Formats: sequence, C-alpha cells, structure tokens
Amino acid sequence: MNRVGADVGGTFTDLVYWNAEQKRIEVHKLPSSPSNPAEALLAGLREICEMHDVEVSDIDQLLHGTTVGTNIVLEKNGSEVGFITTEGYRDVLYIGRHRRPFTFSIQQDLPWREPSLASRANRRVVPEKIDAPSGDVLVPLDEEKVRQTVRELKADGVDAITVGFLFAFLNSDHEKRAAEIVREEFPEAYLSVSHEVVPLHREYERFSTACLNAYIGPKTGRYLDNLREALATDAPELDIGLMTSSGGVVSVPDASAKPVSLLMSGPVAGIIGGVWIGRQTGHPNVITLDVGGTSADIGVAPGGELRMRRLYDTAIGGYDVMLPMVDMDAIGAGGGSIARVDSGGLLQVGPSSAGAIPGPASYGKGGVEATATDAQVVLGRLRPQGLLDGRMSIDVEAAEKAFDDHIVGRVGDRDRDDAAMAALKILTHNMVRAIELNSVRKGFDPRDFSLVAFGGAGPLWAAEIARELSIPSVVVPGQPGVTSALGLLAADLKYEYSRTVMVDVPSANPADLQAVFAELEEQARESLAQAGVDESEMILQRHADCRYVGQAYELLVPAPSGEFDDAAIAQLEESFHDAHEREYFWRFGSEKPVQIVHLRVYGIGLMPDLELNQIEAGGETPPDDAVIERAPVAFEVGGVTERLDTAFYDGSKLLAGNVVTGPAIIDHQTATTVLPPDLRAEVDQYGNVIIDCTEAQNV
Amino acid sequence: MSDGSTAPARPKSRAEAAHGGHGTVDPVTLAVIGGAFVAAGHEMGHAIKRLAFSPGAQQVEDIGGGLFTVAGEEICESDTSPMHIGSIPAYIQGFMRRLEGDVNEGDVIIHNNPYEGASHAPDLLVAVPIFWEGEQVAWSAATTHLTDVGGVFPGIAIDVFDVFAEAKIYDSLKLYDRGVRNEMLWRFFLDNTRTPTYVEGDTEAMIATCRLGERRMHELLEKYGKDTVMPAIGEWLDYSERMMRAEIEKIPDGSWEAEGYLDDDGRNRDKPLKVKAKVTIEGSNVTCDLTGSEENSLTGFNCPFGGSTVPGFYTIVRSIFLDQAVFADQGIPQNHGLFRPVTVIAPVGTIFNPAFPRSAGPRACLVCTAGDTAMKALAQVVPDKISAGTSTLSVAVYAGFDEEKQEYWSHYDIIEGSYGGRQGKDGLDAVDTLVINSRNVPIEELDMLFPIRTERYELRPDPPAAGQWRGGVASVRESRFLVDTVMTSEAEGTYEAPWGIFGGSDGTPLRVTKFGADGDVEELPSKVTNHPMEAGSTIRWEQASGGGFGDPLERDPEAVLTDLRDEFITLEIASEQYGVVIDPQAMTVDVDATAKLRADRRG
Repeated sequence: MNRVGADVGGTFTDLVYWNAEQKRIEVHKLPSSPSNPAEALLAGLREICEMHDVEVSDIDQLLHGTTVGTNIVLEKNGSEVGFITTEGYRDVLYIGRHRRPFTFSIQQDLPWREPSLASRANRRVVPEKIDAPSGDVLVPLDEEKVRQTVRELKADGVDAITVGFLFAFLNSDHEKRAAEIVREEFPEAYLSVSHEVVPLHREYERFSTACLNAYIGPKTGRYLDNLREALATDAPELDIGLMTSSGGVVSVPDASAKPVSLLMSGPVAGIIGGVWIGRQTGHPNVITLDVGGTSADIGVAPGGELRMRRLYDTAIGGYDVMLPMVDMDAIGAGGGSIARVDSGGLLQVGPSSAGAIPGPASYGKGGVEATATDAQVVLGRLRPQGLLDGRMSIDVEAAEKAFDDHIVGRVGDRDRDDAAMAALKILTHNMVRAIELNSVRKGFDPRDFSLVAFGGAGPLWAAEIARELSIPSVVVPGQPGVTSALGLLAADLKYEYSRTVMVDVPSANPADLQAVFAELEEQARESLAQAGVDESEMILQRHADCRYVGQAYELLVPAPSGEFDDAAIAQLEESFHDAHEREYFWRFGSEKPVQIVHLRVYGIGLMPDLELNQIEAGGETPPDDAVIERAPVAFEVGGVTERLDTAFYDGSKLLAGNVVTGPAIIDHQTATTVLPPDLRAEVDQYGNVIIDCTEAQNV
Repeated sequence: MSDGSTAPARPKSRAEAAHGGHGTVDPVTLAVIGGAFVAAGHEMGHAIKRLAFSPGAQQVEDIGGGLFTVAGEEICESDTSPMHIGSIPAYIQGFMRRLEGDVNEGDVIIHNNPYEGASHAPDLLVAVPIFWEGEQVAWSAATTHLTDVGGVFPGIAIDVFDVFAEAKIYDSLKLYDRGVRNEMLWRFFLDNTRTPTYVEGDTEAMIATCRLGERRMHELLEKYGKDTVMPAIGEWLDYSERMMRAEIEKIPDGSWEAEGYLDDDGRNRDKPLKVKAKVTIEGSNVTCDLTGSEENSLTGFNCPFGGSTVPGFYTIVRSIFLDQAVFADQGIPQNHGLFRPVTVIAPVGTIFNPAFPRSAGPRACLVCTAGDTAMKALAQVVPDKISAGTSTLSVAVYAGFDEEKQEYWSHYDIIEGSYGGRQGKDGLDAVDTLVINSRNVPIEELDMLFPIRTERYELRPDPPAAGQWRGGVASVRESRFLVDTVMTSEAEGTYEAPWGIFGGSDGTPLRVTKFGADGDVEELPSKVTNHPMEAGSTIRWEQASGGGFGDPLERDPEAVLTDLRDEFITLEIASEQYGVVIDPQAMTVDVDATAKLRADRRG
C-alpha cells in the first residue's frame, strides 16, 4: 500500500511517502503556493513520485492536512451567508453571550461581529417553535415563509444558507423540512443545518458553528473538488482523506459537508506526529512542542492519548466553534516574537510578531525590531549560512543592532549577550507556563513525560524548557520539519457521532442509553465501511460528557463498551468522579448525583503501522565530517551568560549510536537543535536525537 | 470603612513606585512570577464557574477570585465580572477588624456585610489564609453572587426598610476553624436561603477555588523561595501602578463635572435621583468625587461604598486610561497597583455611601450610572477615550416555589445594555457595559431548567441614536411565565435616555412592559419588588440604546447604507437625520444628491 501525507502550511508544503510492504519512507519539502494551495501539493506529489520512481497512479491514499478553512476565517474572506432562524431570535448569532472579551475597555471591538458570520440583512426569521423540555411542536413551521425567504436570499446574492432553529437538538423536524425547501429552491447554495453540524444544546454556539461552516463551506468545497479533479486523471483510484480538528481522518464528501471540523487540521497533525515519534522512541507520555515563526503549539498526550478540549472553550478567530478538538494550546511565542521594553520598564517578548515580513532583523527582509530569532543569532546559535542549506543567509550585525537599539541599556545594566539571553528566558518561560497550564495544572506531572520538539524553532528551545519543567528527556525527530506530514500518515480514520441525552444517573435507564450508543455505533460503522475499512480494522469507542446534576460544564469520560447495564453506569460515574478530582482537585462525592449530558461514539478505522527508515550505525563518537565548525556560543552557566567553545554538527551526517555532548548545536537543514552545556544527546536508529536532561540541573 | 473617602492602604512610597527604579527582583524572574499570578487568577475564575451549581455562577459568571496580600492588596484576579474582585480588598479589611490576631491555618472565613466591605450582601466572600513556614503570607479569596441570601424577598430586594430586611448578614465568620467545619454554622447558613442546593454547591465551589489559589501560591514559594516571591509581589503591583500613572500623567491637570439622573428609588415613582460626578486629575492621581449626588434612599436602592462605589471606579478609570484594547500589545496585569492612583469620594448618607442601617442591595445600575456620568465629565478633556451615553444592564429576578423539591426555584436574568458612539467607532450594540461583564444564560439551558419560556431575544427594532458614530442598539427580551412567579427588578433609564455628544442624538430609553395572562398591557417602572407575574403572563424588556457621537451629517454614507440594509434605519431616517440620499431600487448612495442635501442642511 502506497500512502502519502501532505501538510500544507503557510510557508512550506511537506510530503511524506510511505510504502507499507517495503517499509520505505521518503520525504519532500517545497515552498507553498498560498494563492492556490493545491498547486504546490500537486507539484510536490508529482515530484516525490518522480524522485523515487513511483507512479502517481500507484498511490492508494493521500492524507491531507489543510489550512484553507482556517485562512478563510483569519483573513475574513468567506461566503455571503443567509441565516434562516426562529422568529423572535434574529440576532442570537450576533449578540452571542453578551460578554466583552476585554473587561476593561471602552474602545474595543467584538471579534465575532467583525464581521458577523451573517449580516443582519441576511439574518431572516420564520415562524416555528419547538417546546422545551418536551420537544413538541409549539408553533408549526411556516413552510411558505421559508420558501419565500430562500427565494429572497437567492435574489440578494448569498452563496450559502444556514438553517438554525431553537431547540433543534430536541426535535430536528423543522430544520429538516426547511433544509428540504432550501434544496428545492436553491440547490446550488451551500447548505449548513445546525443539528447536522452539531446536534447539541446551546443555541448561540450551535448557530455560530453552523454559520462558520457555511462561511467557509463553498470555498473549502471548491478547493477539495479542484484537488480531486486535478488528481482524477493521474490517479483515478486515489482515496483522499482529510485530518479533522479532533485528530481523525474523514473522506472528501464528509469534509465538504462539514469543513468547520477541519479548522485545526494542521496543528493537530503535528501533535499526532509528535506522539507517534514518541511511541517509536519508547516515550509513550509526550508533550509536543511545535514552534514556528509566530506561534508555539503545545499538546499533552499521556500514554500517547490525545486529550480533547472542553467543548465550550473552542473558538477560532473570535468565532465560537462547538466541535470536538484536540486539546492543544497555541501561544504567541515563536522565532518572530518581538522583544520590547515597555514604558513600565518590563521586558516583554511576544505576542506581537514580526511574522514572515518584515521578519527578524537578521533575515534582512526589512525587520528592525529585536526578535527571538535575533536573540539566538546574537548568542551565536544560528550560523550566518545555516538555514535551509545556505539558501537563506543570516545577517548577524543586523540582529546585534536590533538588540543595541531596542533592548540594551533598558533592562538593568545588561550587555548585549545578557539582554539577548533575558529575551530568550522570557520566551522560554512563556512556553513553560503554557505547558504547565496544560500539564501540571491538569494533574499531569511533567517528570513522567518526554518533550517532543519540532517545527522550525522547537528544537532551539526544547532543552531549556525541559530542564525548567524537570522533563527528563527531549526527543528531536530526525527530520523535525516534516513531523506534521508524518502525523497524517500515523493517524487512523476517525468518525464521531454524538447525541444530547441529559439524564440523571439515579434515574437513568441503561437500556435507553444502550439504544443510543447502538445507534451511534451503527452510524460510525456505516461511515467506516463506506470509507473501505474492513470490519476487523474497526474500533468503536464510547464516551460520555458528564457533570454533577446542577453544574453547567461537562467533562468527557470514557464509557464502558459491551452491554450498557447498571454496572456500566456505576463505572462511568466513578470515572467521572476521578476525572473531576484530577481536573479541579475537588470531589463532591456520592451525595451529589451525576448527570450524563451527551453520549459520543468514535468510530476508528485502523491504518497500517508506519515505520521510519533506519540510519547507518556508528560508535559513540560522531564521524569527523559531522562537525561543521567550532565557534563561541553564549549559554547561561551558573546564572551568568558566558561564551563557550561549541561544536556545530550536520544532523544528516550523524550515525545511530553517536553521542553528542553539550555545548553543541545540531543543524537539521530546516531546524536547529541547541544542546546546552552538561547535557548529553544520543542519536537513535532512526536518526532521532534524544537529549537526556536528567544529568545536569545547574540551571 | 464608611469614612467617605478611600486612602488606599499601601506599603511603599508613592514617589518610589511612580518614578523609582525597578526594585530588587530580577526583571526576568519578576515577569515569570507575575505571569504565574495572572494565570492563577484566571484559573481560579474558571474553577468557580465550572464547579458551581447555580446558573448565576456558571453561566452569568457573576463570580470572582484571586490572591491578595496579607494587608488585602490584590495580587491577581479572575477574568470575570469586575465588581467582584476589586471589592475583595474591602472585604478583607472588613473581616480583619474582628479577626486580627485570630487567623489560623485551615480557617475558611465567610463575609457579606455591605457596611464592612461587601460589594452587596448577596455576594458572599470565602477567604482562606495562605501560610508558609508557619506564617501567613497571603489570602486566597473568592466571591459569588448567591441566588438567595434569605432576605425579605427572593433574590434581591428593592423596596425594603433596612439592611436587616435585605439579607442575612454573615460578618467575619469562620466556616472552618483550623480545618474543622463548623457544622452548626453551615446548617444555619443553608437553612436561611430559599435555594439551598445552589448556595451549598456554589459555596463549596468557592472553597475549592480558594484551595486551588493556595496551591498555586505554595508552588511559587516552593520554587522561588519566600525571599524572592514576597518582594516580587510588591514590584508586580508597582509595575502596574507605574503604567497607570504614566497614562494619567499625560492628561492635563483639571476638574470636570457632569450630572445624570436615576429613575427613582423603587418606591417613590416620580422622584428621579441626581448623580453628580466631578473628576479631578492632578499629576498622576485621579479623584472621582460624587458629592452632590442624592441623599441615600429609604429603600434598598443604594450602593455600598467600599465594596461597590470604589471598585466600580477602579474599573472605569482603567477602562478609560489603560484601555485593554488600546494597550493590547502590553498585557498590563490587573492588580492593586492600578487602584493606587484612584481616590473616590462620596459623603456618608448619600446613595453612593449610604448610612447604616439603610439597605444597599441592587447597586449595579448605580455604579454603571456613576461611571457613565464620569465619562460625560471626561468627554471634555479626553473625547477619544470615552463613549457617548451608555445604558446599564437590567437585572430581573424570577422566582417561585417548587412543590416537588420543596425548595424555591429562582433565576436572575442579566439583560445587557449598549454603548454610546465613540471617536472613530460606532457604539457597541447589545453587550454588557461598563462595570458589568457577565454572560447570558443560553435559552436552551434556561428554558430547560426553569418554568420560563424565553419568547424573544434580538436587537430592539427602534433606530439607533444618530451620530457620525451612531449609538449602539440594545436588545429586546421577552419571557413568558408558565407558573405563578414573582419578579424583582433592578434597571435604569426609563426617563433619561443615554446622552448623545458633539452633535450626536440621545439614545432610546428603557421600556418595561407586562402582558398579563388576561390580555392586559401594563408599562412597569424599571424597579419593581416581588411583583406578581401570573402563569401565562409575559415580561418584555426593551433595553436602553446608547447615545450618538458627533454630527450625523459627517457619517460615512456607506455606513448609513449598511444600516439601511440591516434594517436599523429607514430611507427617511437616512435622508432626514444623516442627509444621505439612497436609491431604493439599486440600494446605492446617490453621491451628488447626498452632497447637495448635506450642504443645504449645514446651511
């Protein structure tokens, strides 16, 4: 079986080819084509096939992580959406939860209204109402009004329509009927129906999710159609899968129907790649750190399991999205993060970033401010000719000038090295805090984890971060730049189905819950079968969102499989008590009854196991030609910034079993690993660099 | 506490903090420890709402939490409704008058006396002293607006005789003494509320949250040592203070005054209450003087001074001078340093500093109106930092007795106001305003939990206040009661519409209408007490819309067209108020006709 993973990022498109029978992996990296991302993807696919004598038509499966939808949201250039909703509630989508993002501000704008996903002119109401909590029809649907409204919206030039009615999670008949009318009257419109996109309660969040789906729907759909058409001649049999925000893979038709589920596609692929690398290297508990130019993505996976974010904490570009997403944190800390001394005398690094343009001062693209990358340059950790095999040069003097102009002399009596070191420490601490928030603060001890660091800048910071958090080891993948593309191949197919049940445990009827689970499992099984997954490769996982009766926020806990009986409920209840205590350090105990709010089923289709190519073995001492040069590099030793004689290694020339001792710098073409003094790193059989952070603690 | 002015307690000299060096803690370590405090404060807010049992705490987020110095200065706070946290220093001073010298490890203190620091009696404080090496080093504290605290009426009380009728008072009481819960007090506490399930759950949620704050403080002390953490706290506060003073200093010295009016005291209907605000800037200090405002009401319509009037101005002053959106690049931490430059004056015996034993419960509208009036005064000197007249929230408590549970059901809706226009920006439509920042309860949650059917929630159909930057449009909300219900409400603005400025029009007043089960239609005053809402009746809240900013003839004609498309205004309003001629067929601006009409209008 031939599979290709393709991660399309803002700067680079990365591809990984994997042949299961030959256990062969090949990688390829080329610049992205932002105006039409499919171009670079297709070119890359052809190139990687050509380079390794494979026909494009021989590829069985293309796994794809895309930021097309995310970019539409961030650039705010989505569709004109018509929103048909219940009479009396025209502006629920606009009012939102009526909370200002900034408590202390008169001059702020409200991000979810800039612009609203459907303008007021395009928000139309029709008479209908479902009663709560019974779910009975209170006001019948005015079908004629729906028909007339669709015609008006069509005439007004909308290209997508959302149908979202109040209490559709209790009874979706009205939404279904209105959707039929939309299809009759305006079949070419992109249609998003709230209970289909997310069948859960909370009207604003559901409407927002459904409207965001419509907002990105037409363009994302066109992108996917183009991709499929372009490949239809070369590879008519090719099966295309897309990564979702929850870490699963779905087919093109499913992705086109629910593009809002793809929004975190890219970063999630990175986390899965990091988890997979961890498992390969014998580190099941991993924290992943993916650092690029503007942000750092952090994931925590105990036992290699992805954790899901709480459903009401999920927003993208200011718009609420009530869909399952891998629990990851993105903070404004990257190579381009700008260091500034503010008027209160405090040194701050990020969240503002110089981005790609003007970029760090040392990149010579017009940047003048001191960025984190410039700090690394000042300290001597990035060689002037070091990036991308010398394709990108580094202007050391510009970096030094940026620090002299903006930082030196404003943070106590620090000299330039000290100032750069201080900037690095602050950025490191920002990342440390973000990792802490996602690990320690959720009851996971970093001492039980390994840090897998990738992305262009992850390995620059990883060792310092690990030491700060007492994480015993750091894993830098042999090819840190393509970890997300690897993650696409490492992911299994995954479908998710859920239903609101809202039942208190004392009065829950296990048979009813069993029936819901069975129905959801049937849906999942059907989808998997349609995607060509063999029954023996299917895994069905049950989960439930639970809370104490009277609470408003749920925690996702695994539910037992098999016949769902009283014992299963008792087990679920106990799991919830435990989860609550781990999350909040508080257990209300048995006198407070537990409520089951939603049931969920994940249908997983297992994909063939991936295996990395092994590299040539060597002794402890790296080969002589692996050392590129030696130069003085600044490190902090015993609280003092000092220049130490440091070896620079070419990562591609290191052999399995080689040991590198700090201070050292390892160049991986697309990334650089910094190995501080007193630390020791070993190269494993796959070329991964494993840094042992337990030996020295003299921070 | 009610001496009529705040002289904020502070250990360091003002000059040193404002102009001095950057202290002894390494700036990098300071940033790290400070960041940990900010994270701890936010985490505490999350914990309360996620653990809590009442929709008020969970959804509305009428909660607060944070860490405080032993002297009661705020170190960090949750990102929740601001009236809660700025008030905690006053609570701490309040209970310490009785507990000085008697604070021990394992104590859990509760307090809600509005004359001794409480924001108002429904906002119960839970405080836990944090000890390290046998010595108290800080406080971890949380507050929550409890659904019911056993006053004469469910929820809140307007038309009541005194503070004793308003609520049960829990003053400086130890719910836990050295780790042991006082079961008698706990029972007494829960027996004196109409909603014991909510109150029990919410109070436990606050205790858990205080424990969490304590845990975070201990972690910092463990890692960096007391000798670093304690001075870091002082410097962290000084840092915020420097930032605030630097901005205030940019404003020329002077005094500016404005007046406003409140509808009535909830009993005497035709007697509006005067609000007077004088804002004085002197160097890097700002004084908000409410002298001249109405004498205190003989109802509950008064504002506790230390716990509400003062922190209300902390919020307003920061929002104007250190606006988070304007300073978005610099995460200036919210802590006591920001409070130090602010002095608030209100003579005892006035609505903003009532004399004991007056009741002082429903104060949100009072604080918002004081803030709005202060903005009106400051419009004269910093027109780019304020908004035109901004309306307040409405709070409506709905309650009845649940025979099955043998407990009251009680819910309070917070219905948002809207902002006035701003220099360069329209006013924000329907959103929580000024010193309130809550969340609404999802209708799909509310209607499932209570015998209420929410029948309408959208922007009100009346046109916005005209202006170069138009006023925000507020919402209309209708609730039908499925069982016999009583309603108590706190709202503002039925007489006085939010003010327009610099040529902008005034906004639209509040209107409250009851539709009886028998078809009777009745306009209600903004504040009613235990008003019967029979099964089948409906209440409609048409919230006040904000004032306009600047001359409407200067408004971008395309923005006028958008307002027409969005059905905020009509063709007639476009031409009459804005001098914009729109072709109704093509829906485009007739540029020439507009120029001519505007020229004619200007004369």
